[in-house]
Amino acid sequence: MTTSEISAATIDCRTLVRQLWDFLDGELTPARERAIAEHLRVCKGCFSHVDFERKFLAAVHAARESGAAPEAMRARILSALHEAGLRTE
Amino acid sequence: MGMPAPEPHDPHAAFSALALTAMDDVYRFAKSLTHDESDAEDVVQETYLRAFRSWHTFQEGTDVRRWLFTIARNVFLRSKERERRTIALEDPEGESAAAVAQHVEWRRDGTDELLLRVGVGPAITDALAAVPEPFRSAVILVDLEDLSYDAASEVLGVPVGTVRSRLFRGRRVLQTLLLEHARDAGFTTTAGSESR
Repeated sequence: MTTSEISAATIDCRTLVRQLWDFLDGELTPARERAIAEHLRVCKGCFSHVDFERKFLAAVHAARESGAAPEAMRARILSALHEAGLRTE
Repeated sequence: MGMPAPEPHDPHAAFSALALTAMDDVYRFAKSLTHDESDAEDVVQETYLRAFRSWHTFQEGTDVRRWLFTIARNVFLRSKERERRTIALEDPEGESAAAVAQHVEWRRDGTDELLLRVGVGPAITDALAAVPEPFRSAVILVDLEDLSYDAASEVLGVPVGTVRSRLFRGRRVLQTLLLEHARDAGFTTTAGSESR
């Protein structure tokens, strides 16, 4: 077994599956992230799950509403804030 | 008499500099929550009025966007009476495992590929609008607005474990809704009849 394979063996598929979202969200410790990354290098099954969910999350993020706040709305809100006592230059 | 000393701290200037400049973000967040431009504008206006009235409670140096999102979400929930006391079974790791189990099933007939094919802008926006609260807010905050679990937990006023549960469940519901959308629109898997 190579060093990588030994390291990857400390994270089993069951553990990875339970921490898949935490891993993709960057919410794990650096050591755990490295261990999972190593496991993914040698485990095609887990790699395909992570790859699928990563693509899904990218698609969700790309669907984020775009566009600035409408100017008319901005003006209305500023007017309401001034009435409420906001002082601006 | 000399010149008057400058104000050591002008809360109005601070509000303008910090809160007003985040209006694009608040509007986008409100649009994600309401899925309606007119409702979103109402939420944003009410959010800023409340924010101004409670500006003295904002701790400068902390994330104003997070603070405004908290107010906006509360405004949204009150306006739609969507706040329900849900007793969620908190098993985020279980939800993570369930997502993988679902993928295993979908992979058998190419449904996973179908999901990625149909998972584009308008389809996701429509499907997200159908994800029920409290799961939808968690998905919006983390997956659209890039908040960390900690930041989302502050906005939602729940522990991080609850954020994780809601988020992971919300993602699974979103995937299921996208699949229903795909089938309704006539998409099929490549393993079946001709695909769209």
